Amino acid sequence: MPELLEIRLHGRGGQGGVTCAKIIAAAYASLQKSVQTFGDYAGERSGAPVRAYTRVSDAPITDRNKVYEPDQLVVLDPHLLGPEVFAGLKPGGSALINTPQSPDALAARWGAFTIATVDATRIAREHKIGSRSVVIVNTTIAGAYARVHGISLDVLRKTYAKLGLLGNFAAAEAAHAAVTIRPAHAAASPAVASGKPRLPDVLSLEAHVASPPPALKTGNWSTQRPRYQEQLAPCSAWCPAGNDVVGFVRALASGDAEQGATILGRSTPLAAVCGRVCPAPCMDGCNRAEYDGAVNIRALERFVAGQRGVASRAAAPSASSRRFAVIGGGPAGLSAAYQLARRGHAVTIFEGERALGGVLRTGIPSYRLPRDVLDEELGDVLALGVEVRSGRFLTSDDVARLAGEHDGLILATGLQELRGLEVEGADLAGVEQGIRFLHRVNLEGNVALEGHVVVLGGGNTAMDCARSALRCGASRVTIAYRRTRAEMPAIKEEIEQAEEEGVTLMELRAPSAFLGDGRVRAVELREVELGEPDASGRRQPMVTERRATLECDQVLLALGQSADHRLLPAGWELRDGRVLHADKALPVFAAGDLATGDGTVTHAIGSGRRAADLALEALGIDVVPFERPDRERAVPATEIRFDHFTTRSPAFATAVAAAIRRTNFAEVDPGLRSSFEANRCFSCGHCTRCDTCLVYCPEGIVRRADAGYEVDYSYCKGCGICVTECPRSAMEMTDA
Amino acid sequence: MSLELLSANHAAATAATLAGRANAKARGFGGGVYPITPQTECIELLCQQDFADEHGCEKGEIVRVESEHSAMAVCIGMSLTGARTFTASSSNGLAYMTENVFAAALYRLPIVMMAVNRTLGPPWNIWVDHGDTLALRDAGWIQFYCEDNQEVFDTILLAYRLGEDPRVLLPVIVCQDAFVLSHTMVQTDVPDLDTVRRFLPDFELPHRVSEQPVTVGGLDFPRETEVHRRQHHEAMGRVPAVYRECQDAFEQVFGRRPADAVQTYRMDDADVALVAMATTFSTVRTAIDAARARGIRAGGVRVRMFRPFPESELREALGRCARVAILDRDISLGLGGVLWAESRACAREGAIVQNYVVGLGGGDIRPRDVDAMLRDLLARTAAGAPEIVEVGS
Repeated sequence: MPELLEIRLHGRGGQGGVTCAKIIAAAYASLQKSVQTFGDYAGERSGAPVRAYTRVSDAPITDRNKVYEPDQLVVLDPHLLGPEVFAGLKPGGSALINTPQSPDALAARWGAFTIATVDATRIAREHKIGSRSVVIVNTTIAGAYARVHGISLDVLRKTYAKLGLLGNFAAAEAAHAAVTIRPAHAAASPAVASGKPRLPDVLSLEAHVASPPPALKTGNWSTQRPRYQEQLAPCSAWCPAGNDVVGFVRALASGDAEQGATILGRSTPLAAVCGRVCPAPCMDGCNRAEYDGAVNIRALERFVAGQRGVASRAAAPSASSRRFAVIGGGPAGLSAAYQLARRGHAVTIFEGERALGGVLRTGIPSYRLPRDVLDEELGDVLALGVEVRSGRFLTSDDVARLAGEHDGLILATGLQELRGLEVEGADLAGVEQGIRFLHRVNLEGNVALEGHVVVLGGGNTAMDCARSALRCGASRVTIAYRRTRAEMPAIKEEIEQAEEEGVTLMELRAPSAFLGDGRVRAVELREVELGEPDASGRRQPMVTERRATLECDQVLLALGQSADHRLLPAGWELRDGRVLHADKALPVFAAGDLATGDGTVTHAIGSGRRAADLALEALGIDVVPFERPDRERAVPATEIRFDHFTTRSPAFATAVAAAIRRTNFAEVDPGLRSSFEANRCFSCGHCTRCDTCLVYCPEGIVRRADAGYEVDYSYCKGCGICVTECPRSAMEMTDA
Repeated sequence: MSLELLSANHAAATAATLAGRANAKARGFGGGVYPITPQTECIELLCQQDFADEHGCEKGEIVRVESEHSAMAVCIGMSLTGARTFTASSSNGLAYMTENVFAAALYRLPIVMMAVNRTLGPPWNIWVDHGDTLALRDAGWIQFYCEDNQEVFDTILLAYRLGEDPRVLLPVIVCQDAFVLSHTMVQTDVPDLDTVRRFLPDFELPHRVSEQPVTVGGLDFPRETEVHRRQHHEAMGRVPAVYRECQDAFEQVFGRRPADAVQTYRMDDADVALVAMATTFSTVRTAIDAARARGIRAGGVRVRMFRPFPESELREALGRCARVAILDRDISLGLGGVLWAESRACAREGAIVQNYVVGLGGGDIRPRDVDAMLRDLLARTAAGAPEIVEVGS
């Protein structure tokens, strides 16, 4: 070692060069040497070339200048390699370089010096050292330094322990093992620059009237680049129908309801329906829920549909047009028919009831979904040229025949099996399936009830039964549910509105018998305790022996439904939504609850759309079948910069007063009067041209361009501030 | 004692912490702090310390405030209640603090402040320049300029003993060069608390605010101000003698002697002298060695204590030198270097005293730069106007 050993490190801001110099100094200090270590500090940020220095001596060090003629170089970033890095390196000096290249590859230029190379970036990345965007190589390359300059691993380990860096020591050991050393080649001539470079002239402050871009193209410092990258918004990821939710909300926010309708029409013909009855998983996924309340997306979808029908026009029939039969006119069948018809195919829907709509017509009460609204959207589907045969329930023979007469068949018959209750008195008069009750109310009207009605269940059917019962004249309605309110599958607002209307909720009660003489006059309820969570994550109800009777005049069962497979012809088998016969795939696809049993309109729409796509694909027609997006890929709330948004509570329409609405079937929710709520959308993963990137860029080199922005990469240092500050995660860093 | 690899920022914080804990049996320790580059590391470390006495009772608090002005106000309030106090600042932070910097001295409160010398802006510059603290030379504070990390550490401890001496009762500012010291790590000798206690007695402020609420710093009539200024000036006058006592005590306790108010290098037979402050002097030493090797009888004089100005020590150090170069890392615009303006009268009559303003804004002053100034001085037949020497980055 020379009397005074001088080491110069070259890296970029953020790579940890100053700390690397400190590690080297600390290692020598533990060998009883005098040391001095410091970095160059400047106003530059991440990515700027940075130098750090270490001096080592047996005597006290009094030199306080920077190191101009080093004995050793350590280069943390191979892109810096050039005359400036090697400037002043003493004859016989050495350079340790972080690069995947071998020393021989660098010998042509720098062979007069001892060259050592190690791929510290790869090692550090393998050991996960650094931040999400930047690999930090300092603690890794220090291990290679120890090997090159004969510092024992034992001394190095003690140094890491003292500096609190032991967690990174494995990477240092790996670099210690991996470094390759090429001794100096005497014949080679040193290619070092000499003399001080001439400094540029300095203008007087008054002369700085213009601000021309500096000649220094800082873009070549960058190892990473920002990029505008659209990412999946959680609302869109969570929508079972596959709606571009963020797209239509953004369109509304920009005042373009037409565009919002066009966007929705790509994935659904039933926006007015879903805008009223959807449980809105999009709102569960909405990142704004983590801040000041989810955007009221359901109401916005209804708003769009209120401005203009969303259904798109049909493509003209062509030679490639095919004929399809859709069995079942509920939301799944309608969705499948819509997707087929808008592509120019001929579709016939077979519906058992007299009118289309399925559960939308027979199950959902008109105070939630007015029939004129439903009819209008159904009319838009039929306007695409869809034919309807209604009023006759098909048999399995019919199904087999229709399959033969069409190019493809979609089965969307829903959940026709009603779950009953096998307890004493279940056959008493006055104990009725809720679905049948709703069917009567919705299709026949003028159903009169009196006295106390008990509804058993906790889903939307239970709420519909309870609230319809009130409207049919029941003096009192009680819902008994075996879990608690928190576990109820019904839409939260439906539960709240039922309670407002006077419905009583009894939690943790399971029916064990119906009492009465010919007609029910009481239901026996047992108390329930909640046990361990089941497969659905909900706690299992454990029925106890504690029981009580509740007097009543009518019982409505809303305990769930299941698919009825009796419609399948003999030998047909339903597997993963496709029908097979003797292991041979038929051009027959199941959609909606028959296929998935998810039980919501929005799931049915997505399923119908996918079945239509699959049916086309099976015929060799070029489509990309719809797949539900992966929720895991959606921008999480942690990527949203909340502090860029002022808090504003979600907008909800004021419902008709409970005392009034419980007396009739008029629509309860009047809907939003404006689309202002759309402005609350964070626009997760979707650039809104908010200018935050432009404002925060320390170089001032983000500029507005036609579609969005452009970054002048000749100056971009890759500091990442624009990406960090983007309020909505619509940018990302990529390798330069 | 133990050798720690510390930056001078951390050395200052460590010294202040030890001084603070040493006062735990008396009225404790505290201060207001506000960050500014290149001082921030100092207060960051300080904020991580706790100041409980051996019974676990809280004996101090570092208050994070919203500005330098308030940082000094907190120090003033705490010091008035008898606590030992510390803060740190730099550059434009000091400029903003200035009103209360004057107040602290005029209240005669022995607050210790570490200042990292940094160029005043705009345009912004974070590197070393002594103009920020030299602008406070008339604020009534004792001022030291340090040459290395250990000196920063030692001078903080000395500053408490000196400023708190009942014959002095003045605040002390301990200066160090931005980055050249503040962010440079070297092995630093850190004593243990018991040793520091032996050097720093419990602090007792005679005029501290006690049980009875009082107004301090109300109104002085001319007659009273005349007397207060005279008293303040006389206290400054006692500082050199008390400082020498502090040096003796320090040497006794810690086994090393802090540098004198004015320090000389190879001056015994010198006929040309180079005068500088702080780390510039390290480079001056190297240049002198090189000049001596060429047969030039050069020597160096470092002004370590700038207030009170050590006029007689400087006069003695410059002795019979016929040529004197005064290196200023500062400029009093419209005059020249501040050190030059104050020291030129200390050279012998007829000497050529030339001012070189060098390293403004933190450029690296290298031995060859000092050598060029020395050659310029030797070629002169008379002193000229102050020269601004550009060293680049």
